Amino acid sequence: MSSATDRSPSPAADADSTIVRGRPTPKWEPYLGWGYLVILILATGFLLWFPSSATAYSVSLALIVLMTISLATSWNYLSGFGGYTSFGHAGFFGIGSYTGGLLLHYERVSWIPAVVIAGLGAGVLALLIGYPVLRLRGPYFAIAMLAFSELCRVLVTAWDSLTLGGRGVYLPILRFQREEDGASAWDRFGVQVHNNQNYYAMLVLAIVAVAIAYAIGTSRFGLELLAIRDDEVAAQAMGIQTTRVKLTAFGLSAIFPAAAGAIYARQVGYIDPPTVFLVIWSIRSIATAILGGQGTILGPIIGAVVLTLVSERVWETDPNLYQVIFGGLIVVVVLFMPGGLIALLQNRGILPRSRRL
Amino acid sequence: MDTLQVILSGLLLGGVYALFAAGLNMIFGVMRVINLAHGELMMLGAYITFFLFSQAGVNPLLSIPLSAAALLVLGVILQFTLVERVVNQPLLSSLLLTFGLSTLMMGIALNLWTSNFRSVAWSPLTGSWDVFGLAVSKSRLVAFGIALLVTGGTYLFLQKSTFGKAIRATSQHPEVAQICGIDVRRVRLATFGLGSAMAAISGSLIAMIFTISPEMGRMFIGKAFAIIVLGGLGSFTGAFIGALALGTSETLAAYWTDTQLAEAVAYAVLLLVLLIRPSGLFGRAGSGA
Repeated sequence: MSSATDRSPSPAADADSTIVRGRPTPKWEPYLGWGYLVILILATGFLLWFPSSATAYSVSLALIVLMTISLATSWNYLSGFGGYTSFGHAGFFGIGSYTGGLLLHYERVSWIPAVVIAGLGAGVLALLIGYPVLRLRGPYFAIAMLAFSELCRVLVTAWDSLTLGGRGVYLPILRFQREEDGASAWDRFGVQVHNNQNYYAMLVLAIVAVAIAYAIGTSRFGLELLAIRDDEVAAQAMGIQTTRVKLTAFGLSAIFPAAAGAIYARQVGYIDPPTVFLVIWSIRSIATAILGGQGTILGPIIGAVVLTLVSERVWETDPNLYQVIFGGLIVVVVLFMPGGLIALLQNRGILPRSRRL
Repeated sequence: MDTLQVILSGLLLGGVYALFAAGLNMIFGVMRVINLAHGELMMLGAYITFFLFSQAGVNPLLSIPLSAAALLVLGVILQFTLVERVVNQPLLSSLLLTFGLSTLMMGIALNLWTSNFRSVAWSPLTGSWDVFGLAVSKSRLVAFGIALLVTGGTYLFLQKSTFGKAIRATSQHPEVAQICGIDVRRVRLATFGLGSAMAAISGSLIAMIFTISPEMGRMFIGKAFAIIVLGGLGSFTGAFIGALALGTSETLAAYWTDTQLAEAVAYAVLLLVLLIRPSGLFGRAGSGA
């Protein structure tokens, strides 16, 4: 084990020690799960209805928010709960974009199977590379995953005959502006879904990602990941099958960026290696999760909404300043709120210290 | 003969890589911080040389001490105000902080100087010398010499001087170093400053060999990781040999296959070494996993 991780518990670990502040857990805490279900149903209802009354621009913005939720939430499985900082999301996102994009480009399958194949394929790939790579700890794992993403980019660029190399891949043009000819409300909804397929696909993906995060956060499996984060050797000594736990989390966390990448490719219609393998996809996932609160269920969702809307606003005003502000924001979050927004609210006593958050 | 020529040119480039990676490696050794902004520090060094040359006509060789001094100061300021706060924090904090800094600096550079490629075409160093039938690029040879000088000087400084020994002691065991009366905080300030200055010098040298752009840092940081992992994280000599090996294998790969695949060499080396022998060729066994 590297000495850096020996010396210091993570800030999120501090936030977990319930006893420290001595504030009683509120009575409603056990009902949070049901509260979530209600919120989820309301939010899903709203998001299902949303495209019917929104401009195309708002829908595409909402699509990016939903995508960021999937990315950050899935990054959180291994890296937030398990403490294995991964820079692999860019690699999986790119692989997913290319798997989905090429399947559609060569017209092998229709789009839903393409997205599923992209996601599951990346999951299997993660299991394969995870076995050796997850033996590495701390800085070694971080560097290895950074190298993995870059290697994927270079190989996809070089494998010209299959991937069309640096020229990029054009996806079939989407023509689905069907007219609203349905008589009943149900028919009109069908048309709306048809016209906003990518948005609804991202919605489903985000809901599944968050549901898994909730399952991890409240289960024994989640506790095992937390134990690995805090002290892997001790966790192993306690009888936790660390390899199996880490592999499962890694495999799950690879599915979502890849599936999101495939949908993203379909949405933008053109992909090339420099854009889909950009290290910024990893960083966006990480920054979003950190901003909200790593190792929490709600954190990545809050982070995704805040970060995406803020960056969109900045991008609108001055695209050149975007990188400056994005970089500055990361610095500020790391220095002043290492536990993220959730921990900030918990320390103020506004939110309880609950694993359900 | 051709292969020999390629190997030579790769070795010369490797010298500059070594200087760049040595700074990164030293910073990691002393404070266990992976400085993702190291490439941008190099980029700033390169731009200082470029602007001094193009605006004021300063001899690029003379601008090297200037860019080193400027980045030394910047490095100390960065360490004092920002990086010091994440030493002894979880790895993710320092990774994110330095990545934020990297994006910030790159963004500012893009705003100020646009993404155009620029180069320093200084006539005395264009072209090549003929040595026993081998064409030796003048700029590469000079850059190699300077890089060797600076890297060697730093090595001697670390081995022989009292302050150098304090730096090595801190990187071996910060707590014990502190107990022995070493001002660990000051060592960290000096290390980050020194590392930044080394990045700046390598940037100035790169400006004489290649074209430069605000995004150049991202290209070199991956190579630097491959080098220090190959040589063993924290090992000075290891990184030097790793750099020469990477420079050579990259140019050879570019010569035998194509430049696309040459780019993959660094990352493939990095992954293979991490998986087979994480402590690197010269690191202590068992320090990796």
